[in-house]
Amino acid sequence: MTVGSQVKSCFSSLKSIEASLETLALQSNEIEASEAFKKAQAIMKEIKQDLDQQVIFLSQEEPQYKQ
Amino acid sequence: MPDWIQIVIRAFSLLIILFFMTKWLGTKQLSQLNIFEYISGVVLGGIVAIHVSTLDSPIYFALIAMFIWFMITYLVELLSLKSKSFRNFAQGKGTVVIQNGKIMEDNLKKEHFSTDDLLESLREKNIFKVADVEFALLEPTGKLSVLPKKENQPLTSKDLNIKLAPEREPQTVIMDGKVLLEPLANLSLNTNWLETELDKLNVSIENVFLGQVDTHGQLTVDLYDDKIAVPSPTQKPLLLATMKKCQADLELFALATENTQSKQLYEKNSKKLQEALNIVEPYLK
Repeated sequence: MTVGSQVKSCFSSLKSIEASLETLALQSNEIEASEAFKKAQAIMKEIKQDLDQQVIFLSQEEPQYKQ
Repeated sequence: MPDWIQIVIRAFSLLIILFFMTKWLGTKQLSQLNIFEYISGVVLGGIVAIHVSTLDSPIYFALIAMFIWFMITYLVELLSLKSKSFRNFAQGKGTVVIQNGKIMEDNLKKEHFSTDDLLESLREKNIFKVADVEFALLEPTGKLSVLPKKENQPLTSKDLNIKLAPEREPQTVIMDGKVLLEPLANLSLNTNWLETELDKLNVSIENVFLGQVDTHGQLTVDLYDDKIAVPSPTQKPLLLATMKKCQADLELFALATENTQSKQLYEKNSKKLQEALNIVEPYLK
């Protein structure tokens, strides 16, 4: 696994985390809990944006592995 | 009318009256009865017993007597609700038996409570050493309420400064294989949701003996067929694990890379992820 693909897999995990958090935020009946999930989801979104840039950057750095 | 039929009729009618009277006087455990309720309970029972078997006295005597006793108890209860001093008189007051860790011998004597009685009541509360007690009060019902010293009280999450997710009562949504619509509506869920959740667990509703939904919308079921294994809820533990893994990955990337800009980016985001983890961890347990 190249660094690029490792970061990519982490990126997709982050996406799945964000989606799960959103589900839980909607599911919960407790306002406090759903607020916490929403807050975490917002943070995940920021991380995702950052990492998205990094994935693009890495794919430019490793053109030989590009399919 | 033969006597035996009269007895049957009297027994049934008086029993029904007695049942409704007791119900009207409110639901209280037998052990929680105060003096008046205790007396009226005994007397009402006696009146019924006498008039069922004594055919010489007309039945309306029984009704009058029962009504009077019912009214007395009812009025006493009503007055007790309204006035504190009357309540103290009618129902009695609690007596402090242990204060600041010291036994109040005079109060014990006043209540005719022997040292053995005190020790027995404490043992019922799982306290074997009087020195562990800060405060104890003998209730009018004869029960002992005990406040152990702070260091002998069970540890709570407050003492440990652990944040726990609030949890409300779970709702029972399936009983004996049938959906209960009202509790489901309380959680603002519908039958479609329930069907989807049951599909996820791979069970049919006829096979479910009991199904409950907790505050966070997690369905747990008990099946008629105990041989079928129901998967335990995995969504939350899985999410927590994935979050932890991602956080570790980001830290690893930060260590592995030599590009300072990327390093900074990874470090910043791993910190952010840790922050998010701290926020949601209590709710994912």
